[in-house]
Amino acid sequence: MTHAVKYHPGIPLLEQYVEGTLEADVALAVSAHIDLCPHCQQLCLDLSAEQGLMLEKSAPAAELDATDLDQMLADIMAQPQWNGRELNTQPQGPVQVQLKDKTFTVPRALARLVEQQTKWTQLGSIANAKLPAGDKRHVSLLYIDKDTAIPQHTHKGLEITLVLSGRIVDEKGSYGVGDILINTPDDTHTPRTLPDEDCLCLSVLSAPLQFNKGITRLLNPLQHLFY
Amino acid sequence: MLNLASTQRHDGTTPAQREPGMSTNDENAPEIRTGQWEDALSFVAVHQDKAAYSELFSYFAPRLKAFGMKMFGNEQQALEMVQDTMLNVWRKARLFDPSRGCASTWIFTIARNVRFDMLRKKQSRKDDISADDLWYDGNYPEQEDSGSHQWDTVLMTEKLAPHFDRLPEAQRLVMVKVYLEEKSHQEVSDELAIPLGTVKSRIRLALDRLREALDDTRS
Ligand SMILES: [Zn+2]
Repeated sequence: MTHAVKYHPGIPLLEQYVEGTLEADVALAVSAHIDLCPHCQQLCLDLSAEQGLMLEKSAPAAELDATDLDQMLADIMAQPQWNGRELNTQPQGPVQVQLKDKTFTVPRALARLVEQQTKWTQLGSIANAKLPAGDKRHVSLLYIDKDTAIPQHTHKGLEITLVLSGRIVDEKGSYGVGDILINTPDDTHTPRTLPDEDCLCLSVLSAPLQFNKGITRLLNPLQHLFY
Repeated sequence: MLNLASTQRHDGTTPAQREPGMSTNDENAPEIRTGQWEDALSFVAVHQDKAAYSELFSYFAPRLKAFGMKMFGNEQQALEMVQDTMLNVWRKARLFDPSRGCASTWIFTIARNVRFDMLRKKQSRKDDISADDLWYDGNYPEQEDSGSHQWDTVLMTEKLAPHFDRLPEAQRLVMVKVYLEEKSHQEVSDELAIPLGTVKSRIRLALDRLREALDDTRS
């Protein structure tokens, strides 16, 4: 990959992603970022190792029925082990999506959802395809033609944008493939595409209640130190 | 603004680079874990070894149950999670790759995925994002090293050391030994009786946290 990802999810977000406590739609955006970002791939392996050690060092359950567990053990070992195809049910790599005459590559995390359904709705120079992530979830692919401002809408939760192709810019920076933007309801910046380059993004609008606990850092802007 | 990377570039052969704790090529080779649980899993994978599986089960099942009780607050669901997790450990043992991590890491990720999908199925509203979408089980292709651990140690220690106290204890301990006491990764591994891979991963995690801390002090 020639492009280095500059905007990453902050460590608290990655930690919750690894623990499995992040809301599924936010976790999906983080997962798609990780597919595009070797730095966060490594961090997640490291965070998983820490969680594994915690499990290994943890105390066993106090109330244990030995006969329950013996029965469970016997039941499990009576089952056949798996070989071959049944071992891997996951999408293994990125997939292509079509929009008119254009073809885009989207990360593995989105592959299954994208293959189920990608119906585009065109609105001027913007096209939107809602992904079948579940009722009440707002997970979509967003195509923005060149030289277009992304329309502002009010939204009480987090708005997460992950660049999948092309580039968007705002007052604060310039975001290429793999870069993640996380906006709270207070953010008022106006992202737009460049005069000569269109853009495909993943857009997630999270439910408002998810961040009551306050995640101190949503982004890990490594570029301040390294670029 | 700080620019650790470019400072290093102008000073490619400072003695600091050869200090203990700096990565060298052979230290970056993947470590094949060979502990009690890694070996047991390999026996299960290769020989369907029931004795080895029983050992794994009697150690991890009660701990997974405690984890499940914390997550679900309900014994029946906790046991369901233990059963599904340990069944996957048995069925999928050959997917465990000791060059990618410890047995405990692998078992944790299975338990997390089982728990996630249990919660998802119990929710009344339809939710179609699955553990399979969220957590990739395969190997990502190798990438060029981003150079994140090739900084000038001296410069780095000066800037970072004041923030060591804010690190989680396990990471702080490793950072103090590597960057202040200038011990090698191997020495730290021996002293703390933790795998070499754990030393390296704690350093990487700590460095990322410290970068965030540095960033905070400047904004
Ligand atoms: Zn990243």
